[in-house]
Amino acid sequence: MMNFQDIILALKEFWSQKGCLLIEPYDVEKGAATFNPATFFGAISSSPVQIAYPEPCRRPADGRYGDNPNRLGKYYQFQVLLKPVPRDVTDLYLGSLKSLGLDIKKHDLRWIEDDWESPTLGASGLGWEVWLDGMEITQFTYFQQMGQAPLFPVSVEITYGLERIAMYLQKKDSVFDLQFNDERSYGEIFKEAERQFSTYNFEEADVEMLTRHFEDYEREGERLVSKGLSLPAYDCVLKLSHCFNVLEARGSVSVTERAQYIARVRGLAKKVITCHWELENAKKKEFAPK
Amino acid sequence: MLRKKNSLRNDLEPQDYLLEIGLEPLPARFLSPALESLAANMAEALKASRLSFKSLKTFGTPRRLAAFIESVAPKSEASSEKFFGPPASRLKNPDGSYSLAAEGFARKYNVTPDQLIIETTAKGEQLSIVVNRPGRLSREILAEAAVKVISSLEFPKSMEWEESRFKFARPIRSFVSLWGTFPVSFSLVGIKTSRVLRGLNGESAKIENASDYEKILRNMAVVVSIEERRNILIKKLDWAAGEGGGDWDKDQDLISEIVAMTEHPVPVLGHFEQKFLKLPQPLISLVLKKQLKFFPLIRSGRLINAFLGVRDGISEGQNLVREGFERVLVARLNDAVFFFEKDRKRRLESYLEELKRVVYQKDLGTMAEKASRVEKLAKDLIELLGDFEVSEDSCAEISRVCYADLTTNLVKEFPELQGTLGGVYARLEGRDERIALGLEEFYFPIGPKSPIPTTVEGAIASLAGKLDSIAGCFAVGLIPTGSADPYALRRQAFGIIRIALERQLPIDLEKAVSLALKNQPVTLSEDRFVQVRDEILDFLWGRAQSFFEEKGFSVDEIRAVKAGAFGRLSRTYLRLSAVRSVRKEADFEPLAISFKRASNILKQAHYENGDGVLKVESLLEPSEIALLKILTEMEDTVKEKIEFDDFEGSLKTLVQIKPHLDLFFEKVMVMADNPDLKRARLKLLEKLVSLFSQIADLSELQGASPK
Repeated sequence: MMNFQDIILALKEFWSQKGCLLIEPYDVEKGAATFNPATFFGAISSSPVQIAYPEPCRRPADGRYGDNPNRLGKYYQFQVLLKPVPRDVTDLYLGSLKSLGLDIKKHDLRWIEDDWESPTLGASGLGWEVWLDGMEITQFTYFQQMGQAPLFPVSVEITYGLERIAMYLQKKDSVFDLQFNDERSYGEIFKEAERQFSTYNFEEADVEMLTRHFEDYEREGERLVSKGLSLPAYDCVLKLSHCFNVLEARGSVSVTERAQYIARVRGLAKKVITCHWELENAKKKEFAPK
Repeated sequence: MLRKKNSLRNDLEPQDYLLEIGLEPLPARFLSPALESLAANMAEALKASRLSFKSLKTFGTPRRLAAFIESVAPKSEASSEKFFGPPASRLKNPDGSYSLAAEGFARKYNVTPDQLIIETTAKGEQLSIVVNRPGRLSREILAEAAVKVISSLEFPKSMEWEESRFKFARPIRSFVSLWGTFPVSFSLVGIKTSRVLRGLNGESAKIENASDYEKILRNMAVVVSIEERRNILIKKLDWAAGEGGGDWDKDQDLISEIVAMTEHPVPVLGHFEQKFLKLPQPLISLVLKKQLKFFPLIRSGRLINAFLGVRDGISEGQNLVREGFERVLVARLNDAVFFFEKDRKRRLESYLEELKRVVYQKDLGTMAEKASRVEKLAKDLIELLGDFEVSEDSCAEISRVCYADLTTNLVKEFPELQGTLGGVYARLEGRDERIALGLEEFYFPIGPKSPIPTTVEGAIASLAGKLDSIAGCFAVGLIPTGSADPYALRRQAFGIIRIALERQLPIDLEKAVSLALKNQPVTLSEDRFVQVRDEILDFLWGRAQSFFEEKGFSVDEIRAVKAGAFGRLSRTYLRLSAVRSVRKEADFEPLAISFKRASNILKQAHYENGDGVLKVESLLEPSEIALLKILTEMEDTVKEKIEFDDFEGSLKTLVQIKPHLDLFFEKVMVMADNPDLKRARLKLLEKLVSLFSQIADLSELQGASPK
């Protein structure tokens, strides 16, 4: 049986063997591994990328005080980004499952159409949810757009839902019963955090402060973009997105406001993309043979 | 040497052609349409190249789209075609050299001017050329056709995945293209044709002869024929359901989806704990079918604690798969129980408060505001109905809480259950069954043929909900266009028509629309109000028209009853039936023509209904006096019959007027010089027209139009 941490190790090992650069998680809150700058800038840049990393993700609204065996306000993804897309990418993926000890022949593996969209990044892609015996374990996406601009060349993103995979492999009905390693369970490590963060996100978060932070980071981001600092400006996008997620969990966002908030995050993300492309083009010119 | 000879001969005989496009998993909903286009485009391409074949069929799984063309000739048929060019007189210049026109014409068909032939045609002598096209090798044609057809396939959504920026539903990973044993080579999206077929789990096999296609894949546990896969699946599900001790829910959409998303479907019987059966049945069904694509098992009309999942692949590790299916299901059901129990802690009314935070549409306010509009409109509608028997209290209760379930946890998780869960919660709260049913059926009818609300109270609340949506959206300019109808107004309008008609509600829809429009939180000027109301009525009339057309009425008949149609839709239906039935009588068509003549005369004379009673003394000719007499006699009979909704009877009575009307038109000049006489005659015609108009405007009928 594979411990939670062994799954991460196995995936790291597998993808590193396939030539991926292994990085560690990014240190700003985010709702999905896609938001890691390695993926965001990796997908929009014109250069090749092979990268893999685990990533903690925060979804304030999904927390259930640690009471629900299947829901978490914070969980882990393992992310792989490949560009150009290898022709045997689905076989590679099957290989990675094998490295987790799964004999595919003995399971039902289903690729369910699931096109991915992130309104806050103005991003979209076509792909699948991969179901292992009915359980969704991976999101497999060919990015087509970012900041509402078409992407070329296209990259593929493979996002493993680590808790789901672990629950499957360890045959556990509650995420908190997962063995993280031989001694400690997932619940021992994170259950209290789930309780406290649910209380914070649903009851205690200071709406006035978050609203202010949202505006501050928006202003800061705009300013940084104007200085050609796309990387710190992108951190502001992440901050905006997280403030919004907490505000929404807190129940202080009406439907109309929701659309406006999302449009504001997307607005800044688009500017960051333009800024990044300008920098890239300038660099290309600089290095171009004269 | 013998072998070589054989293969040479092979080359001269018709062979089967196989084209397989190997894919990353294709979305289930794309499969059948893609195969249809593949077949049609391939047949067309071969036909255009005059390449003969016996038959064409397609195969498909999520991993492959294939066309299999039986007995494709080795060569296309040779052809020759004659083309005409400029007049023969322009063949040469005065100096004897070929003219520019002649040279140009020859060049166009790749010949030299000396090959042009002079031919006598209807236009005189013309230059012509016969182009002979020899038969081409089928392998060349097939390769071109394959590339063309693959590039022409269209999908609801396409993507890019490699540097050529080719678009397809999902990435293409291989091509197999064989004419008999001969490769038909081409290359596209960076992929060259090969002989390698891939199985379900990464195994592969080489194919030597196109006709072995099905067999080779079957050996790798892939059933490529959709039809066969469906039959196998159904047979196996029947058997597995028997094992499970129930019948399986034969949901056709789900069957088709499973067939399209598997290469080798195998049912897996699983169970769940009995305790979950206390959840509402529609909820369990939804979790099984929509979330997990499992088939529920049913015994005596109730779900049992077993289901049939379907796995793709052979039966190895069946227990692992079953355990996996069961574990996922339990997780989902636990989630549902969690929400269900949380929801049940509160009464429906308490959720109304939360509707204040749900925006319906930015100019139309929140769902709470919509809810109070619907409650008010339902009351207004009851008033409109007059002494029609309906429980006002029940209707008020339904319309007050009809949207309450929208903010329950379960409906947030499963939006498809809106309404359904309102009904479930109402029953659990011990509300009257009539209320529960009204809530459950509030959004009915869901589809064009699906049921409408059972009770009158439910029907009125449902009408109010739909009228409010349509009135609101039209008032703020959200009118459905060809493809975009985000608020599903067409479906709701059709629902209004069906409910009014099938429930036989004596409701004046024109007034109902005005009431609904007045309730909207939008200020409209008087002119604008009338304009919007008429737009809505037109919109509703469009749905009514399709409803009537579906019942077999022709377009002209429907047009003939349009005036006053909304006053009472069920009566409009009877008027239509009367027109259709009386129309068959011999006298009817000529009468309709005379009727048209009468109404044209009135129109041309700009006749407006004058005051006073038409007296016999004002008329002159015996034929017109007779017409007035018979009209006056008929008037009472017709009125009485209409009173009892006997439109057929009254129309039959009216048809008897034909000989009198004919005689009138023969003997009388309506537009007499004497103005008094003219007015009297016009009045007579007006009397006739208005009598008919209570049933139908016969001038709209096709036969009445001049041919």
